[in-house]
Amino acid sequence: MDFELRYTPEQEAFRKEVRAFLEANIPPELEEPVDPANLSYEQYLMRRELGRKLGERGWLFPTFPKEYGGGGLPMELAVIIEEELDRYGLSLPPYYNTGGTLGAPCILVWGTEEQKRYFLPPILKGEVRVWQLLTEPGAGSDLASVKTLAVRDGDHYIINGQKTFVGSLHGADWMWTIVCTDPNGRRHENLSWFMIPADLPGISMTPLDLLTAGGEGGASPGAKFTVYFDNVRVPAFNLVGGENNGWKVATTHLELEHGGAGSIRRNRIVDRLIEYCKTTCRNGQPLSKDPDIRDLLVECYIDAEIGRLFNLRNYWLRHTRRPRTYEGPQASLHRKVSGLRIAEAIVKALGPYALTNDPAWDPSGGHLEVFHRASIVATHPGGTIEIQKVIMARRIGIGRAVREEAGTVV
Amino acid sequence: MDLALTESQEMLKSAARTFMERECPRQVLLDLDRTETGISPEVWGRLARMGWLGLAIPAEYGGEGAGLLDTAVVYEQLGRGPLGGPHFSSAVLGAQVVLECGTEDQRREVLPRVAAGEDILALAYTEPDYGWGPESVKMTARRDGTDYILDGVKLFVHDAAAATHLLCVARTGDGSDPTAGLSVFLVDRSEPGVSVRIMSGFMAGLCEVRFDGVRVPAGAVLGEPGTAWSGLNRAFLKAAPVLCAYKVGGIEAVFEMSVSYSQTRVQFGQPIGRFQRVQDHIIDIVNHLDAARWTTYEAIWKLETGRPAEASVHLAKAVASEGFYRACNSAHEVHAGIGSVRNYGLVLYTKASRSLYNYLGDPKFHKRRLAHALEL
Repeated sequence: MDFELRYTPEQEAFRKEVRAFLEANIPPELEEPVDPANLSYEQYLMRRELGRKLGERGWLFPTFPKEYGGGGLPMELAVIIEEELDRYGLSLPPYYNTGGTLGAPCILVWGTEEQKRYFLPPILKGEVRVWQLLTEPGAGSDLASVKTLAVRDGDHYIINGQKTFVGSLHGADWMWTIVCTDPNGRRHENLSWFMIPADLPGISMTPLDLLTAGGEGGASPGAKFTVYFDNVRVPAFNLVGGENNGWKVATTHLELEHGGAGSIRRNRIVDRLIEYCKTTCRNGQPLSKDPDIRDLLVECYIDAEIGRLFNLRNYWLRHTRRPRTYEGPQASLHRKVSGLRIAEAIVKALGPYALTNDPAWDPSGGHLEVFHRASIVATHPGGTIEIQKVIMARRIGIGRAVREEAGTVV
Repeated sequence: MDLALTESQEMLKSAARTFMERECPRQVLLDLDRTETGISPEVWGRLARMGWLGLAIPAEYGGEGAGLLDTAVVYEQLGRGPLGGPHFSSAVLGAQVVLECGTEDQRREVLPRVAAGEDILALAYTEPDYGWGPESVKMTARRDGTDYILDGVKLFVHDAAAATHLLCVARTGDGSDPTAGLSVFLVDRSEPGVSVRIMSGFMAGLCEVRFDGVRVPAGAVLGEPGTAWSGLNRAFLKAAPVLCAYKVGGIEAVFEMSVSYSQTRVQFGQPIGRFQRVQDHIIDIVNHLDAARWTTYEAIWKLETGRPAEASVHLAKAVASEGFYRACNSAHEVHAGIGSVRNYGLVLYTKASRSLYNYLGDPKFHKRRLAHALEL
């Protein structure tokens, strides 16, 4: 066993190349705001620019096939790019792009050759930013009951309906959308996915006023919207994975969204908390010397370590193409429930300081306050805590008569 | 990064699993559980012949020199049994104490017999003021000429009833530093004044050991008198993750048992696994399983590769002990009545999860050590 990512001299040379590239191409103003809701349009454009530059080199989607605009790189080199970006607090891609990170693998697995050649290069090269549009007012945990309707009309489909709790700050180019293509069809046999240009006539949106807009890993969206489709004409070519075959495509999408992608990053909030408690005195001694607070910090550290190891394992399983069952939703479940525990521990340790972002008294420059709100919101995107458990039970082989297989991922 | 076992480790794992299935089926384990020592001469002999009593002992001292990860691979399978008895106390913990604290001559004398299963060691460390830190050892050894006289009570000593020899930790020096002045005495259990009594209760193999004016020669001290702590601490850090691997195996077995029961037990017209309240328990078990597994194996990897491992070992021991304990609780919820029937087998794990909860330090102890390692 080897828990460390190891590098050959050639790989270390690649790291130098990446590091030099990032140094040259990451302006200081690109820094992540403490609250993702404050990401300015200028910062967003800088991130897109960085994305395009990474994409030109195949570094935006490093493990994807070269022929479609990916990097064709092995896991080790992809990890190096992610590690180097992580030094700047950035992920890959360096902006919210769930329709790309989740849609592109779906297209790769389920799309026709022509669709791959058309849709993948712009995504993989960072020329487009894509939102995922799944949730509807009447279809949250029960995604298969989406009602947004696509009706065939010649070479097009006409789409009507609405999606909610979707998107991010500063707009999208494309929308990766699951819809119903047969309202009278059987459940799970009446859905289809479309890649929809966001500027088509009939698409409009309104922002949601949320506690915060959490994400399922990766760059935070910063905001969420309700998107309306009013007789939107979409070319039939944009239906990916076959009409009424959308639930199968969804297994790939959801597998990745439910934690199956894994991660090599660690949860910084616990590091920050520990550092803060070591360096902040109350009643004449560092907080970390208070026995109750020490106990809380240790519990937070344990939660963070278990989460790190679950993500590391999933990353390894994914990139070595090993069989998986319940591991994806397990990591997601742990992240959600431990997030709530850690937030509570911070409140216990710091009292009201955990909740303030008042510039005069905030102990953490806003990080703890944002984390607290995010820990609550994070329990639902990409499937609630309960949904993660439902999936785990099916994968373990107890939720249904036949054990459910994990979705195919790339 | 490669989180897989090597091919030879996979073979070792499969050999250990086959051994457990063939030699230690449920009925054998239930019978062993009713014995005082938790083991029979037959099973002990087979463990010795497989070489598993020498796994963690270097080849020059008659062992397999297999390394901690290989040892853990086997212990995970023993934990699946769960196979009780003194194998861990003797061949892992005891052997590590001799290895870390003993002189070269003492290693050569003691370890080959331990590896062969001829001698069985038990560590008499804990006392009525129970604890695993150096400050918890209060028993003293009095110098008398060239001999030492041991007087005192060691309590909750694992596997002393099965042992041929006790590794008794006592103070030979004093001072304000609790880590100073500790010595380990190798004492033949048949020495006059040594009495071992198995303790009753919901525990397996725990004993009261009394030393009543036991006279031992100076040569019974492992290494230099009064300097044992650093060696003991190293031995504890290396042995603890192996015990964790045993617990991982225990949780895995409890998980499989609960899955299988929930697939076949029908109530309200359907398998109880369809009920989300029941699923919650099984999900808790598998989360404990994987948390224990990966913290344990990362700690072992750090130890084997010479990385700073202290924080990881304390993390793993806290997680695995709590995990095994709670996984058994959840399994009892899934099984209800049948789970408490001794012959069903779940109780074997539950008892092990309790008996081993405190062994080498309870979760609270390890969390405090972890806080220390994190420089809190």
